[in-house]
Amino acid sequence: MTISRRDMIQATAAAMALPALAKAPRPSPKPLFFTPAEFALVDEMSDMIIPTDQQSAGARAAGVALYIDGRLAEAFEKDQPERWRAGIKAVEALSTEMHGKAFMAATPEQRLALLTRIAAAESDPKSDAEKFFREIKSGTVRAYYTSKIGIHDDQQYKGNVIQPGEYAGYDAT
Amino acid sequence: MTLIRFKASQEQDVDLSRTYDAIVVGSGAAGGMAAHVLTSQGMKVLLLEAGKKIPIEQELRSMEWPYDHPRRGEAPPGYHAIRFNEYNIRKPPYAKGSAFKHVFSYVGGWGGSDYVKNILVDEKDHPYTGTKYAWVRARLLGGKTNIWGRLALRLSDYDFKGKTHDGYGEDWPISYADIEPYYDKVDLYLGISGHKENLPHLPDSLFQRPNKLTASEVTLRKSLATMGRTLTPYRAGVTTDGVKNKYRSKCFGRGACGRRPGGCDIHAAFDSPTGLIYPAMDTGNLTLRTNSTAHEVLVDPNTGKARGVSFVDSVNHKTYEAKAKVVIVAASTLESARLLLLSKSRQHPNGIGNSSGHVGHNFCEHVMGPGVTGLVKEMVGAPPTLDDGKPGGFYVPRFRNLQDKQPGFVRGYGFEGGSGFSIFPDSAWSTPGFGGQFKKSVREHAGAFISMGGFGEVLARYENYVDLDPEVKDAWGIPSLRFHYEFSDNEKKMCEDMANAGKEMFEAAGIEVVGVDKNILTEGWSIHELGTARMGTDPKTSVLNQFQQSHDVKNLFVVDGSSHVSASCQNPTWTIMALAWRSCEHLADEFKRGNL
Repeated sequence: MTISRRDMIQATAAAMALPALAKAPRPSPKPLFFTPAEFALVDEMSDMIIPTDQQSAGARAAGVALYIDGRLAEAFEKDQPERWRAGIKAVEALSTEMHGKAFMAATPEQRLALLTRIAAAESDPKSDAEKFFREIKSGTVRAYYTSKIGIHDDQQYKGNVIQPGEYAGYDAT
Repeated sequence: MTLIRFKASQEQDVDLSRTYDAIVVGSGAAGGMAAHVLTSQGMKVLLLEAGKKIPIEQELRSMEWPYDHPRRGEAPPGYHAIRFNEYNIRKPPYAKGSAFKHVFSYVGGWGGSDYVKNILVDEKDHPYTGTKYAWVRARLLGGKTNIWGRLALRLSDYDFKGKTHDGYGEDWPISYADIEPYYDKVDLYLGISGHKENLPHLPDSLFQRPNKLTASEVTLRKSLATMGRTLTPYRAGVTTDGVKNKYRSKCFGRGACGRRPGGCDIHAAFDSPTGLIYPAMDTGNLTLRTNSTAHEVLVDPNTGKARGVSFVDSVNHKTYEAKAKVVIVAASTLESARLLLLSKSRQHPNGIGNSSGHVGHNFCEHVMGPGVTGLVKEMVGAPPTLDDGKPGGFYVPRFRNLQDKQPGFVRGYGFEGGSGFSIFPDSAWSTPGFGGQFKKSVREHAGAFISMGGFGEVLARYENYVDLDPEVKDAWGIPSLRFHYEFSDNEKKMCEDMANAGKEMFEAAGIEVVGVDKNILTEGWSIHELGTARMGTDPKTSVLNQFQQSHDVKNLFVVDGSSHVSASCQNPTWTIMALAWRSCEHLADEFKRGNL
C-alpha cells in the first residue's frame, strides 16, 4: 500500500491546523494550593509510589506533585482539596505516632514503613491515612502515565503516529 | 448558554419567503443522507439543524498529547458528567439544582472530556423527565456522527424477518434484498473498513482494507473458530483506502478516534458534514440553517398535509416559519418522536402522523454492561507494540438464537472488544501496591489484557415509550420528553448469558479471566435509541410505510432510527443511512411524478 504525497500533506495539515485554543494555566513552578511542607510530602510520597528505576525516571521528575497541585488549586468541588489537606494531616499524625517526627523529617526507612502500613489496607481503607494512600496513588497514576516520561520513557508507547503504509498488527486469516 | 459559544461560521441569509421542495429537520446520519440524496436528484432543500456549526477540527485536536493539554484532556473546573450511580439513584432531570456550571451525559466523563464539551448538549438547557435514562445528545451540525463509535454493521433477515424466525414482535416491511443495494451505495460513497466473513446474520459490506488484530485477538479468533464463532476486525465506518470526497482524508491509523470519546479531525471516519452535507451544498441545491430548533411541523388546514416547519432560533429565541412541499424529519429517534408529538393540529390532534397512537412507542435500543476481561499470559513482559492505531478493536457477532433456541431469552447479542497496548495503562488502576514492583508490574502487563462487552437487542415493546411532559420545558420553552422505559426480563436473562458466554470463550482460548462484569448499564447507555415511529404495513399499528413515509400524511417522511421495527443487536447507523437513501430515492421519484 503506497501513499501519495498529497494524501500525506492533507492528513498532516489537518492534524496540524490546531490553533492554540486552550491556553489555560501551565503547571506553575511554585505550588498554588499546597503549602511548601505539604508539597514536599506529596512530592516525596508520589516518588515512592512510582520511583525511578532502570527503565525510566519517577513521579518527581515527571512533575506529578505540581500537576496535582494545579488541579486542586482550581477544583470546582471544594471537598476534594479539603480531602487532600486532611489526608496529609492524617499522614503527619501517623508519622508522629509511629516515629515521633513529621513525615519529611523521618528517615527513608521510616517513611517506607509508614507507606507500607497505609498501603496494606488498599483494598479496604478505613483510617484517614489509609484513605489518603488511595487518593495519592490514584492522583500519581493519572499524572505520571499522562506525562512525557510516563508515556514515552516508561511505557514506550508506540501509537499516536501517522501510519502511511500498512497498519501495524496481524491479519485476520 | 453553551449554544452561543461559537458564532456560526456562515451568515444565515436563508430566504424564508420561498417554498422549498423539501425541508430536512436534523443533520446527523439520517438528515445528512436525505440532504445528499434529494439534492443529487435536483430538489431544492432546506436543512435545519438545532445546534451550531463549530470548527470541529479545533475541538477534536486528535493528535494532541495528554501532557500538551493543561488538564491532560480533562474539561475545565465546573464541568460535570453524570455518573453511573447518579443515573440510577436519582431521577431525571439530572441537572436540576446542580451546582455545576455545565452538566453533560456520561460520555462527557470519558477520558478527554475537554474535547467533547462543545459537542454534547448541556443537560441544564435540555431537561427530560420520567424513568431513569442515560440520554446522550449532540446538538451541532452533524449531530452524533461527530463522535460516533463507527462500528458499521449490516442487518440481515434474522432481523428484518425476526417475527417469522422466532415469533416475537413484528417483521419489517422490507427484507434484506430490498435494502442490500443501498447498503452497497453507502459502502461505496462513504467507505467502510472490514474483513469478509460470509456470515448469514451479519452480511459483509463492500470493504476497503481492514484494520489489523493484535496477537491476543488472533489467539481468540482461532479459538472461537473451533466453536463455530467469529472474531472479526472492527467493521469501521472509516475510509482506509480513500473516497472521492475533497473534504475527507483516508485513515492513517493514528488511533485518535479510539483514544477519545470519538471524532476524527481528518474525517476518515464518517461524519455527516464532510461525508454528506458539504458535498450536497456543492450541488447548489442545499440551504443550511443552523441554530434552528424545529418545534412544529406545520399543517395545511385544508388538506391536512405538511406545509412547513416552525422553528426557534436557538441564539435569539425568535420563532420563524419555513415552507416546503415535503417535510423530512430526521432529528434522531427521540427528538423526531418529540417533534411529531408537538405537532398537534385539528387534523392531527395526537400529533402529526400519529393516528395509530404508536408515535413514541415500541422504543427499543441495545442493552450493555456485561463483559469480561482476561489476561493473555504469553503477552506479559512483551515489548510494546503499536496496538491502538485503529478506529476500533474487534467484534464478535451474534451466535445465540440463530440455529439454536435459548431457554431464557429470544434474540441475541454481539461483543465489542479490544486488547493490547494503549496510551494509558488501565491496569495501573487495579494493580495493588506501590514502588518499584508496582511500576514494573504495570509496565509488564500493559499489553497483556483483552476485554469485551456485550451489546444485546432490547425487544421492541409498546409499553416502552416517550411522551411530552405536561410541565417541564427546555431552555427555549419547548415541552420536554418524558420517559416510560425499562428493560424487561428478556434483557436481564440475555445479560446473564452474555457474562457467562464471554467467560467461557476466554477460558476456551486459554485466556485467564481476571474480571467478569455482570452489571447492566443504565437504559440509554448504548446511544442506540430506535423504534419510536416504526414502519409497517398496517396503519393501525405502525407510523410509517416501507419508504419511511407517514401513513397519515403523504408528504411527511421520518427517515431516522425511529423508523426501525426492531433493534437487532447490530449497530444501527449504517442501516439508518441505507434506509434513508432508499426512501429518499422513492421520495424524489414520487415528487417528480407530482404524487406528494
